Amino acid sequence: MQPRPIFCGPTPQRVPYVTASASCAADDLDDVNRVLAGDTQAFEGIVRRWQGPLVNMAWRYCRDRSRAEELAQEAFIRAWRGLAQWRRESSFSTWLFALAANVFRSDLKRFPTVSVPVEAAPEPSSPATQHSVLAAQFNADSVRRAVLALPSRYREPVVLYYFHEMDLSAAARTMGLPEGTMKARLSRARALLRRRFPQLEAQHDAMEFLAPNPGKEASR
Amino acid sequence: MNPPNTDRSEMGMDLDSIDRILAAEEPLFPSSGFLASVMQGVREEAAAPPPIPFPWKRVLPGVVLIAGVFAWGVFEFACNGLPAVGSVPLALPHLSAAAVRSLEQASWIAGALGVSLLSWLLSRRLAGRSGLL
Repeated sequence: MQPRPIFCGPTPQRVPYVTASASCAADDLDDVNRVLAGDTQAFEGIVRRWQGPLVNMAWRYCRDRSRAEELAQEAFIRAWRGLAQWRRESSFSTWLFALAANVFRSDLKRFPTVSVPVEAAPEPSSPATQHSVLAAQFNADSVRRAVLALPSRYREPVVLYYFHEMDLSAAARTMGLPEGTMKARLSRARALLRRRFPQLEAQHDAMEFLAPNPGKEASR
Repeated sequence: MNPPNTDRSEMGMDLDSIDRILAAEEPLFPSSGFLASVMQGVREEAAAPPPIPFPWKRVLPGVVLIAGVFAWGVFEFACNGLPAVGSVPLALPHLSAAAVRSLEQASWIAGALGVSLLSWLLSRRLAGRSGLL
């Protein structure tokens, strides 16, 4: 049977892969100490714990499964090489995500994904003319592809903000930017996306089934 | 779980359709061979010979020697050269400010090229002694 990746912390239904519990941090520390003491095999624990997050993060950068795995592998190798440079001031996951973001950024700069300008991204379809589920799926794909078409200074904040489950400070730490700068870039990116997809605001109710968010309903 | 970010409302980032779409990604599970592949790469890295350290022990005497010669030259010039230059009436040709600036820039470039050449020769010599060339 194929072993499933181990995710730390609670396992709710949606995107739990970024969350790191205290026990996970302790495991990371233990494994890092063992690796630094010469036990190469101890790195497997780190890979097991963080392969899911890193592959998902890389996927959001490039939207290409095989390339995402290559990028994640490269990030793990770099982490292995630079493990002694983790100064333990921040959590291991913060260090690992920042390192991975650097790897993904520089690799995608050298070999960019094939993308079109945001203005040329496919138009969302009208739910009136198609089955609503298919239309919503198409719209979701269009928005995700439009993120890849954003200028790079806006694309990465968007990718990391949603990867970190909309935790602005975590995304800012991963990018190594002040929160204010991150917030400004996110606002600009969102403005570009809104301009591209004005009809999505009108279709808001039709999209409810894609990602029901009880939090918002409760706050209304 | 991360606590909900309260900053979002401040920057007009209520959960709208775009947020919902981008936040609702299905998690991607790594393929079956991913872990083995990473560990294979790590083992290869671990088995690889360590990078050759920079030969500071060999370079340092040369650097000290060059610095010493340079300092000695400056000292000699300050002691003997400057008074001699001052006593000789020099009939320098008149040069325009632009020409002087160009000459100055050219001399800096020539100096930089000289230093580059020296360091290249030195590195070749050291690499040759190490058996790398």
